[in-house]
Formats: sequence, structure tokens, C-alpha cells
Amino acid sequence: MAEQAIVRPTFAVRYRKILLGGFAVILFFAAWQAIFLFVPFNPLFISKPSLIAAGLVDLVDSGDLFHDLAVSAVPFFIGLAAAVIVGVPLGIVMGWRPRVGYALDPLMTVFYASPLVALAPLLVIFFGVGVSGKAVIVFVLSVFPFIFNAHAGVRAVDRLLINVVRSLGGGEWDLYRKVIFPSVLPYIVAGSRIAVGRALIAVLVGEFFAASEGIGYAISRFGDIFALDRMFGCILVVMAIAVVLTEGIRWAERAAFPWRAGQ
Amino acid sequence: MAGYIEGRNVSLTFRPPNRAPVRALGGFDIAVEEGEFLSIVGPSGCGKSTFLNVVLGLTKLDSGEVLMHGKPIGGPGSDRAMVFQEFGLLPWRTVQHNIELGLELKKVPAEKRRATAERLVVLVGLAGFEQHYPHELSGGMKQRVGLARALATDPDVLLMDEPFAALDAQTRDLMQAELLRIWREARKTVLFVTHQIDEAIYLSDRVVVMSKRPGRAKKIFAIGLPRPREYEMRVTPQFNDLKLEIWNTLKDEIVA
Ligand SMILES: Nc1ncnc2c1ncn2[C@@H]1O[C@H](COP(=O)(O)OP(=O)(O)O)[C@@H](O)[C@H]1O
Ligand SMILES: [Mg+2]
Repeated sequence: MAEQAIVRPTFAVRYRKILLGGFAVILFFAAWQAIFLFVPFNPLFISKPSLIAAGLVDLVDSGDLFHDLAVSAVPFFIGLAAAVIVGVPLGIVMGWRPRVGYALDPLMTVFYASPLVALAPLLVIFFGVGVSGKAVIVFVLSVFPFIFNAHAGVRAVDRLLINVVRSLGGGEWDLYRKVIFPSVLPYIVAGSRIAVGRALIAVLVGEFFAASEGIGYAISRFGDIFALDRMFGCILVVMAIAVVLTEGIRWAERAAFPWRAGQ
Repeated sequence: MAGYIEGRNVSLTFRPPNRAPVRALGGFDIAVEEGEFLSIVGPSGCGKSTFLNVVLGLTKLDSGEVLMHGKPIGGPGSDRAMVFQEFGLLPWRTVQHNIELGLELKKVPAEKRRATAERLVVLVGLAGFEQHYPHELSGGMKQRVGLARALATDPDVLLMDEPFAALDAQTRDLMQAELLRIWREARKTVLFVTHQIDEAIYLSDRVVVMSKRPGRAKKIFAIGLPRPREYEMRVTPQFNDLKLEIWNTLKDEIVA
């Protein structure tokens, strides 16, 4: 027998990752719903998927959900943008200029390791309860992943490529543009996955303390008035957003940096 | 005739922080003629790459001097270009844009860059692969890109640091023949480092054997084989005699 037939994987085999993952999610919600067939249900302490779904429909229907999301999105994106603009150059310079790195590394490590979220009330007092206060909290929490990943990216730059550009007459600025920044870019995108998660937490925390609108405010208010169906609904929406953002970035990484595939 | 590139008593010691200094070159003398293909062989760690980096202008020497056209080399210049053993291609750039790198750094307009890249892609036998990324190429193809990139700025001198060492034996034989063809067409001075005696003899006008570290020129062999070189010359008595002679000069320097 010379040739072997190429076996085409069945649908179930080909999509088993998604199928199994999705099945577990569905099973989780089904179990959540079903458990109250055996356990008494108290709507003041817990909710269940059927009620959450109804609450979500109501929030979407009234437009409240989108309004709150839109309100929260503004400081989220402003804070993240500021974190990129500050964090990436800072991390690159720390990595490329050893003395800057030696000077700032301990300080940054301390900040990164500390529970910065505890500063949120202080930041709200300094910067107000509006967009600026929340954006500052987002910035403070999300800037460090950009700094550290850019820093790590610079240290991983292939010295040979530096020599290549130098030998062809490139100056310092050319090194940044042609080698360092492109090498660091995948690290920055990977860092943004972490940063996005922290930025979401930052927005919620900022809105828990003091706010009159926004998705974090909605969650805390629904909690206060024991509207647990809508509270859980908002939490699920935030979770979904977190998953979509991080998975979207993961997908973008594979699409944009094909030479790193398999690394 | 004065050497086109001339190294006189070149000495260089690396002083890495927290480690013992390494004397890489200890009075290396060399004179490379214009248009010559000169190979350097020597035990590993004897300072071959170091010397090429000095000529390239990336490494400063401690004493002695390296002259090009009688003038000391002060830094990188577009009259010299290096082909690196590990290729050194920018992974996020296509073949075409890798070839254009040197021209880009020299602020050559895009039209002219593209024209040069198109010509070189053909010269190195990569037509059709312009839009491929390095990770899609074989080792031999990557080094063709490395060679095209070095040729793009039209340097007078090509420095080649074990350019084919990372390739398998057959690809290496093929690349050697291709290099000779390109060298004949482009008329460059080539300074070629290798640890393969066969390769050095087959390609070169002269072969310099270096001593162990700190590297000096131990002996220079003139390779009298006619050009163009044919693959069959590798099995002639003349070739084998040279090989034996060079090996005998080299083997005392190799510390296993
Ligand atoms: N940047 C450096 N710092 C310290 N030592 C170095 C450096 N570059 C090379 N060396 C040392 O100098 C010697 C010569 O290196 P090299 O020129 O690369 O040898 P080769 O002849 O194998 O190309 C080696 O012992 C090497 O370890
Ligand atoms: Mg070497």
C-alpha cells in the first residue's frame, strides 16, 4: 500500500475546542438555574439566569444599559490611551537606556506590585467624580503593563538587527523606528491584554466610589436596591466585554505578527 | 600597490564589565587588493568576526590602524556592507523591504529603492518572492536576501562573516557558485570569513590563516586556480595540496 488516505476530521473533532468550551458555559448556567429546584430561592441574596435575562432585556429596552456603557467607555478609553502614550515610550527608554532603567525599575516595580486600587478614593478626591477622576484611575492601573512589557520587549531586541541598521548607516532614531519599535510592538499588544482587564476594574471601582452614571455605578446601585437580576446582568455584560476585548487582542496579535506565530 | 583595505598591527581587547578582559586581536596585519576575493580562516574565537566588525566600523580598535583608500575607518559607511552568518533580516519586513533597508536609511526615494530591489531580487535568484516574509523562506533564500541587502547600497567592499555556515552542505555549494557569479558581475572586493578550508580555496584569490587568540595573520596562501572556478576543481591535485597545506598551518592553532 503506497498511499494513505488523508482522514478528514469530523465536525465534532474539528471544533471540539469551541464545542467543549461552549458546552461548559451552557452547563454552568443550566446548573445555576436548576439548583433552585432544590434550594429555596431568595431574590434578595441571589439571582438566576432566567431573571437575569429578563432584567437584561429590560435594561437594553430602556436604553439604560447603553447609556451607562457609553458613559463608562469615555474614561476607559481616555485612560488607556494616556497609559499607552506614557507607558510605551517610558518602557522603551528604560529598556534602551540602562541608566534610566536602573533608576526607574525599582520604583516602577513597587508601584506595579502595590494594590493601587486602594488609591482610588484619593484619586477621586483629587480629580473629581467625573470623567477625569475615572480616567486617572484607569491610567494609574493600566500604565504599568505597558511600561513593563515595552521594557521587556526592548531587552529582547535582537542585537544583530541593531548592528545591521547601524552598519547600513542608521542613527539612534533609525534604531528606534526600524528595529526597536517593531520588535517591541508585539510585547505592547500582549501588555494591552493585561492592561484592558485592569482598566475595566479601574472604571468599575471609580464608579463604585462616586458617580451618578456609568456601568459601575449601575452595578453598585442595583446592588443597593437589591435588584440583583439587573446587577448580575450588568456584571455579565462587563464580563462579556472583557472577554471580547482580550480575545480580540489575541486574535489581532496572531493576525498582525505572523512571524511570531509558533513562538 | 597599496592595499585597498589595509590593517596594520590591529589590536583590540574586549573589556566586558565584571569579567576578565579578552584580547581578541594582537597585531593583525592584512592588505586586501581592490577587487580581490580574500578569505580568512582561523580557529574559532581568534577574532575573525571582530576584525570584520572593525572594518565595518562598528567596533573601535585599541591600537594599530585599519585604512580604506589610505584613510582610517571612523565608522560605518556605504562603501562597505556586511553579510551576517545569522542573516539579520528584519522579520516584520518583506523580502523587498529588507533589501531596501540600506537605501531607506540613506533617504533614497521610494521609486529608486524599488527599482534597485527589483534588479537585485533577480540577481540573487529570488524573483517571485518579493512579498514573502523571512519566516516563509529557507536558510539559503534568507541569505540571498542578506546578500541582496548588502549589494543594494552598492558598496565597494562586501564583508561576509561565515555567511553559509548555517546552511546545509548542498545549499552551501550552490550558494558558493552563486556568490562567484555575482562577484564576477558586481566586481566587489570581498573579505570572506569561513571555517571551511574548501570553501576558502574554492572562492578566493588568497586565503589568510590566522593564529589562535589574540589573532594575528599566520600565513597567506595565494590560490592559483584559474577563474571562472568550476566545481570539478575541488578534486584536482592542486586543490588538495593547497587544502593540506592550509590545514597543516591551521591545525597547530586549534585548541580542542
Ligand atoms: N562584545 C564582546 N565582549 C567580550 N568579548 C567578546 C566580544 N565579542 C567577541 N568577544 C570575544 O573575542 C574573541 C574573538 O571573538 P570573534 O571575533 O567573534 O571570534 P571568531 O574568530 O570566532 O569570529 C572571542 O573570545 C570572543 O569571546
Ligand atoms: Mg565569528
